[in-house]
Amino acid sequence: MDMLHDQLVNRVELSNISKSFGGVAALKDVTLKALPGEIHALMGENGAGKSTLMKILSGAHQKDGGRIAIDGEEVHIKNTHDSKKLGIGIIYQEFSLVPELSVAENVFLNRLSEHGVWMKWNSLKKEAAELIQSIGFNINPSAKVANLSIAQQQIVEIAKALSEKVKVLILDEPSAVLGPNEVQKLFDILLKLKKEGVTIIYISHHLSEIFQIADRVTVLKDGKSSESLNVAETDRDAIIKLMLGRSLDAMFPPRKPVIGNEVLRVEHIQSDKVKDVSLTVKAGEVLGIAGLVGSGRTEVVRAIFAADKKQKGSVFLHGRKVRLRNPHQAVEKGIGMVPEDRKQQGVILSLSIKQNISLANLAGVTGKLGFIRSNKESAHVQQLIKKLLIKTQHEDIPAGQLSGGNQQKVVLAKWFNRDCHVIIIDEPTRGVDVGAKTEIYNLINELAGRGVAILVISSETAELMGICDRILVMRDGQVHGELEKHEFTEEHILRYAIGADRQPLSTN
Amino acid sequence: MKSSLKRTIHFIIKHNTIIIFLLMLVLSALASNAFFTPNNLANLIRQVAPVGIISMGMLLVILTGGIDLSVGSIVAMIGVLCALFTQSMSLPLAIVASLLAGIVVGSISGYLVSVQKMAPFIATLALMTIVRGLGFIFSKGAPVMVADSASALTDFGSGSLLGIPNPAIILFLVFGITAVLLKYNIYGRILIAIGSNEEAVRLSGIKVPVYKFSVYAIIGGLAAISGMIGTARTGVGSPNIGIGLELDVIAAVVIGGTSLMGGKGSALNTFLGVLILGMIGNIMNLMDIASYSQQVIKGLIIILAVLLQRFQEK
Ligand SMILES: Nc1ncnc2c1ncn2[C@@H]1O[C@H](COP(=O)(O)OP(=O)(O)OP(=O)(O)O)[C@@H](O)[C@H]1O
Ligand SMILES: [Mg+2]
Repeated sequence: MDMLHDQLVNRVELSNISKSFGGVAALKDVTLKALPGEIHALMGENGAGKSTLMKILSGAHQKDGGRIAIDGEEVHIKNTHDSKKLGIGIIYQEFSLVPELSVAENVFLNRLSEHGVWMKWNSLKKEAAELIQSIGFNINPSAKVANLSIAQQQIVEIAKALSEKVKVLILDEPSAVLGPNEVQKLFDILLKLKKEGVTIIYISHHLSEIFQIADRVTVLKDGKSSESLNVAETDRDAIIKLMLGRSLDAMFPPRKPVIGNEVLRVEHIQSDKVKDVSLTVKAGEVLGIAGLVGSGRTEVVRAIFAADKKQKGSVFLHGRKVRLRNPHQAVEKGIGMVPEDRKQQGVILSLSIKQNISLANLAGVTGKLGFIRSNKESAHVQQLIKKLLIKTQHEDIPAGQLSGGNQQKVVLAKWFNRDCHVIIIDEPTRGVDVGAKTEIYNLINELAGRGVAILVISSETAELMGICDRILVMRDGQVHGELEKHEFTEEHILRYAIGADRQPLSTN
Repeated sequence: MKSSLKRTIHFIIKHNTIIIFLLMLVLSALASNAFFTPNNLANLIRQVAPVGIISMGMLLVILTGGIDLSVGSIVAMIGVLCALFTQSMSLPLAIVASLLAGIVVGSISGYLVSVQKMAPFIATLALMTIVRGLGFIFSKGAPVMVADSASALTDFGSGSLLGIPNPAIILFLVFGITAVLLKYNIYGRILIAIGSNEEAVRLSGIKVPVYKFSVYAIIGGLAAISGMIGTARTGVGSPNIGIGLELDVIAAVVIGGTSLMGGKGSALNTFLGVLILGMIGNIMNLMDIASYSQQVIKGLIIILAVLLQRFQEK
């Protein structure tokens, strides 16, 4: 591969790129080269500058210094239009779909104007449906994007990027919101593009994905890039060491659960996508909910938290029946929830980190008549910033200026900042780097140690097996399996999740 | 050199409201030497008081992403009611009853918006015509005189304290309270958060409908105060005043850099917006310019202010 690199013309060449935001350097000296038909992974801690680098390539940000060449020729990318003309396609970490428009309109957004004055709606819908089917998915092209699940939205993003012919395709953490099945389908698409000679730059915090799909990997740390490594010649530890500057002994901290009395009990809950779910969580217990995308996991916890109207069923706290009509009442009773959709429901981008973190516990920072005790608040927030390794200069910076993974930590901090009896976390480490993941697992352990009942949803089976004491597996809005710790295996979970549990374990 | 120019432009864009305000001050002083006389300044501040008082409520409403079109009608109806009340009850009671009536009207908008989830534009548009009609019904279409027994009201309307007209003192009070609420109180922070991302606020366990309701009740009360001030100044309550007042109020808030999408705005800038708008009228009166041209210039200033904000967002 390295010999090849010397002979062939690189499709993408980013040399000595630098970029700062208001005097703070995000990229200092970054070099990344990729050949046609190469899948190049880009890794690094939260806030290392991965998204920033890719936004420079896509014209969303302007570089301060350095050189960009495509197919050996220097190019000047001043805006997103320039990069499109060069054949660069990007799927951003934060969605760029128009929620009020339909799937078909979003897929062909860039090309709507090319259809002449009159829209050919029917052919547009047909084309969109075909495109989505061709990549192995099935989404109604007339559906409004706002009504899709976030995995479905990601699939629409992918279809949108593929609706145009590209030479370079950038994917900024595409798998963060997808389940394992969807990720496999995505990989099939990427391998097909690779065969066609498309260069793919793939950002992810999942090391296993890198080893499965990438040819080479570059690691960013403190605004600088590492040498690019051939994936075949490296291993997990080497990459982690490049990312963190240290090795990581154990991903999942050991758990010695002390499980107490029942805290949350849910009986026969029903809502739009939940058929009939009952569950209990005890003090100090971490209960996981597994299941494929669309299995109703998120809907169950939203119904418990009263974020959605539930049609039937009852919720008991400490054995006593409670009637929760809205999230306010749920929070008052001691339930907290980190929602699945960070940008729409979790973090308020225009508010400061401090204001975001305080939002779930305003009583804790206010004095008489609702006046804010500023010093107390800042001290509080600074502690949480340290604890969760949020990478920022100051707690008064708008949350929108944080990297994606750091925004996730802000949402977690918001609920860790409140004394809850039950904490529901829908995808705790979405977009979080390996180092900070361990830190978050530690915090979950610590909360459980204090007797909090914890309910975790995750698409990462390994994560659930690593941190939970018990796992429920959902399919089609119902719980289809319950696994105790000694029964945890990927295979078990998958069998329940896809409905293979009714067949005997081994057929041959 | 280039970067210092860039920085200057950045500075201007960032502080566009105060710069427009200072510019207007200088232009006004140049245009007429009658401008900087105590008499004229007192006049100016007295004139802007009704719009200014309501603009603070409108700021709160707009921060949550709403709008209130009914305030001009409330001013007229309360003006009439206040005059009517003086004829049948003691003055303090008349004032309290008028204030309550304003808050009730605002609460109806608040209920429609927060509980019934009606679009604020529609809900308050409906109330605008209903309340305007009620003003005419209560007054039977003719101006209503304040009772002689309530002369304290008219004295207050034309009086002043230490040279500051009484209505202006109320304006300063309302402005001060709003500024403090927005900067130091949890109430202001929650309003801004709601305007930025309502769903995230709801999922944080905050009672969003209560806060949305409250801003309409507050602006109803403030419109009532403005209505009473009008009646106090003239001694009559007439049902046809305040037509288009809501647009002046919204204009002042927008000139002050508040985003109509919600989530962004400040009391000080809104206050400056009120003064800018008032100065346009004041200076043109001094220069004997017809009111039609005033309207054109007002419109141009709004466009300028919003364009500058657009740059700021980039
Ligand atoms: N618009 C902005 N304004 C100011 N600072 C920014 C802005 N965008 C990014 N940054 C800063 O630049 C740095 C790099 O951010 P970037 O989003 O590129 O990180 P990342 O590597 O993609 O992280 P993650 O894995 O969390 O997505 C961070 O410190 C971030 O706070
Ligand atoms: Mg990123």
